[in-house]
Amino acid sequence: MEFSKIEVITSLKRLGSLKSALGKVGVHGITVVQAIGCGVQNGTQEYEPELNDEMELLPKQIVIVLVENSKVDEVVDVIKKELFTGHIGDGKIFITPISNVIRVRTGEEGEDALK
Amino acid sequence: MDESKKLGFPSILATGVGLIVATSCLLSLGQGAGALGTGFIVSMVMACIINILSALCMAELNAVMPNLTGGLAQYTLAGMGPFVTIVTMVGGYLLCQTIAGSVECAMFGNTINSAFSTGLPSSFFCILLLAALIIVNLLGVDMFAKIQDVVVYDLVISLVLMGLIGILGLAFFLFIGCEFVIPLSPNARNARRNIPLGMVISLVLICGMQVLVIFGMHHYTKWADLAVSASPHVLYGTALLGKAGTIWMVLVSVFAVVSTVNSCINFLSSMCAGMAKLSLLPGVFCRKNKRGAYYVGILMIGGIMIFVNATGLSNSSSLSFMILVAMVFWMISYIVQDINVLIFRKQFPRMPRTFRVPGGPIIPILAIIGNAFMIFHIDGDPAVRNSIFRIDGICFIILALYAVLWCRLVLKRPLFKHYEMKDVMAMENDLYLLAHKQTKRKEDA
Repeated sequence: MEFSKIEVITSLKRLGSLKSALGKVGVHGITVVQAIGCGVQNGTQEYEPELNDEMELLPKQIVIVLVENSKVDEVVDVIKKELFTGHIGDGKIFITPISNVIRVRTGEEGEDALK
Repeated sequence: MDESKKLGFPSILATGVGLIVATSCLLSLGQGAGALGTGFIVSMVMACIINILSALCMAELNAVMPNLTGGLAQYTLAGMGPFVTIVTMVGGYLLCQTIAGSVECAMFGNTINSAFSTGLPSSFFCILLLAALIIVNLLGVDMFAKIQDVVVYDLVISLVLMGLIGILGLAFFLFIGCEFVIPLSPNARNARRNIPLGMVISLVLICGMQVLVIFGMHHYTKWADLAVSASPHVLYGTALLGKAGTIWMVLVSVFAVVSTVNSCINFLSSMCAGMAKLSLLPGVFCRKNKRGAYYVGILMIGGIMIFVNATGLSNSSSLSFMILVAMVFWMISYIVQDINVLIFRKQFPRMPRTFRVPGGPIIPILAIIGNAFMIFHIDGDPAVRNSIFRIDGICFIILALYAVLWCRLVLKRPLFKHYEMKDVMAMENDLYLLAHKQTKRKEDA
């Protein structure tokens, strides 16, 4: 079975509801990293009339989940709907292929390591 | 985040029902049933279905641009630009609600006087009630929900019990107003589920309730008497239960007026704030009091209603006609919302929508056709229909003139160029106007 890593960079809000929505579609592992960063707006607040000249790094979080390829569309759809507010800063989703997963404690690999 | 939300599903449903059921609806119900008999039920069900289609479209718009205080104004601005927004919002809502609210209060005064012959002018009761509701609304959204829940559930239970014991334009009026729940989104728990559900269930609940009332009327009163009565619900109540029925119907009227005017003042003040954030109205409408109520809008809307009632402009002899004049604008704004759904689908086909009207473009198109059909059959008499269209035409010209001047002189933007959706969303932020004013001042200096 093949896997994908879904990384979501989003604002600090909505982690609780995202976590609960992911749990409902069978995602059992999640890693959250606190970060700072900005997107194409250079960290400009959406109400500000002009874009920042220099990048202003804002507090963000990176949510990382690993799922089977067959579930990627479903999980991404849940994430999109959960994070959508229509405002700037809703976030970005990155999907990358993963060649293998290994559970260190038992040495299990692949699908077994995710169970 | 979610824990701080104040309004649960019962309150959202209550707002929907509160705005839809009005005392003037009872006038429409009585007169429609008087004219067509139980056949009026067919018109009612048809109007209800068309309104459900429009409600679904508005629920999708709320999913595309969630949690906006201005609701329909913001959708239209992002879909069709400032001209259409100003004409439909000021005409379809501010103007219509002033008329509808005044009719509502006049009906309330008529009902009290027809039941008790107090000797006091009808407007006295209206003004008293309006003053109380303005104060309640100034006290904030919590009080609003409490009043709304109590009043609406009493109203629904009363009408269902009355029904159990006992013309297309008018039928449409029975079901308007479910979109008034949209501005409550920011204060609602689980808004993405409760807002669309609240709108549709409000409509179905009311349709069922009013069908029961028509059957009740059918058993206890003559259609001809209902058709000519200014307070047909009181006539029905009296025929059904004598003096007790009269008092019961008066209570129902009080519930209906309180719920409608209360929801109306709350919605319009939120809508004015939303339009002010979009620079379509003066920024003063964004001001909130300590309890978070948009007090300028509340005082203005309430004040206008008091003025209209105090000066006797809402004369009972032309109540039905006034309702129909207002309805045309309202239906046009529904059509505009249905078109907005199609525009957004074209502009943003892949946007994640938590609610999407099923069946592709079929439902929005059916809603447009249904509303257009109702406009062209607003009244069975061609002469009345023409005079309704004439008055609406004059209102449209005045509003169009205002919209052109506002776009040219204040906004300085093309009339029909839509705003970027992200800009409309940004305008929702309370700091938007402030930040843009400061930048403009710096540029001027």
